[in-house]
Amino acid sequence: MSVYAVNKLCRRVVHEPRLREALNGPRATAEAAIRAATPPLSEQEVQLVLDGEVGELGLMGCNYFLLHQLGRWEVLGMTLKLHGERVRAAQGRVG
Amino acid sequence: MAKIVGAFGVPHNPHFPTWSQEGHPLGAEIDRFYGAVAEQLRAVAPDVIVYFTSDHYNMFFESVPIFSIAVAPSASGPSDYPTIARRELPIASELARAVQRHAIAREFDLGMLQELEFDHTVVAPLHFLLPDREIPLVPVFISAFLRPIASASRCYALGHAIREAIEAADSSQRVAIIASGSFSVEIGGPRLAPDSHVGVPDPAWTERVVELLWAGDFEQLVSEATDEQLGEAGNAAAELLDWIAMLGMIDQAPPAFIETQPQFGHSFAAWPIDPLEDGAA
Repeated sequence: MSVYAVNKLCRRVVHEPRLREALNGPRATAEAAIRAATPPLSEQEVQLVLDGEVGELGLMGCNYFLLHQLGRWEVLGMTLKLHGERVRAAQGRVG
Repeated sequence: MAKIVGAFGVPHNPHFPTWSQEGHPLGAEIDRFYGAVAEQLRAVAPDVIVYFTSDHYNMFFESVPIFSIAVAPSASGPSDYPTIARRELPIASELARAVQRHAIAREFDLGMLQELEFDHTVVAPLHFLLPDREIPLVPVFISAFLRPIASASRCYALGHAIREAIEAADSSQRVAIIASGSFSVEIGGPRLAPDSHVGVPDPAWTERVVELLWAGDFEQLVSEATDEQLGEAGNAAAELLDWIAMLGMIDQAPPAFIETQPQFGHSFAAWPIDPLEDGAA
């Protein structure tokens, strides 16, 4: 688990148009961009980011403000509406 | 010596400029509240503005200073919201360097930004407050998003130190202060509203902050703004520290006005100290 790596990737989404473009490309392109990040994400994190599972990532300790940038910039199929839904769903699972 | 002529607190919601321009249902209210602050700001005719704000992971990430000050000659922005018109803003770098020297002499480890790009927390409010004028800024950044953060009392004391620096400056400049931030707001986190990606987790805290501001009881606000309270009020609620630093630069007094938007957990407020009769800036 490398919370910082996920946080840094989400922060880069705000400032790097080419990263946004890659994350909105075919899944293999998005995955390659995520795997190229430094520091590297764990295998679990790569899959959760690819799937836009921001609720789970938040529960794992990733920064919610930074996670919401995926929805704000609409990368990886995320939207702000989806962000809210997934965060609420994850919270519901843990009570 | 330079003279402090007024203090002004505002929110920095990045959507407000667009809402104002595109006829959002809240656009008229946003224009009215910012307009009221802008009128008071114009009346005190500042030559320089000390601007307190908190970076939203845009400038600082790999390294996050608790306090820092911009000394570059100017900076552009916003870096994070292309929907807000980009502009270059002058920085009063000589005064900023004097403030930094004085603060460090007072044992505040105030980092120095020699090159920077402003984010929406500076550019969005100035879209309304200074739409067609450029007044040099002394931008001071207080870390508010990534714990640990400075205590409210430390930020209040930083305000005192910056006031000393301004009043000791070899200058006759008129100095206004702006603080940019909310009192209770959660962005993207688990305490978001049922139909949104943001929320106001502690509306009672917003009311309490406003009550203490109306009372002019800054010291009580400082004592109640504990790290725990700021955390309960949301993941962006420590932006109140920017207001507290600003309040540290003026005498305790009620503001001329406060307007609150409780649905956003923030307020607009003005403490005009030395308005000019003609109000010309």
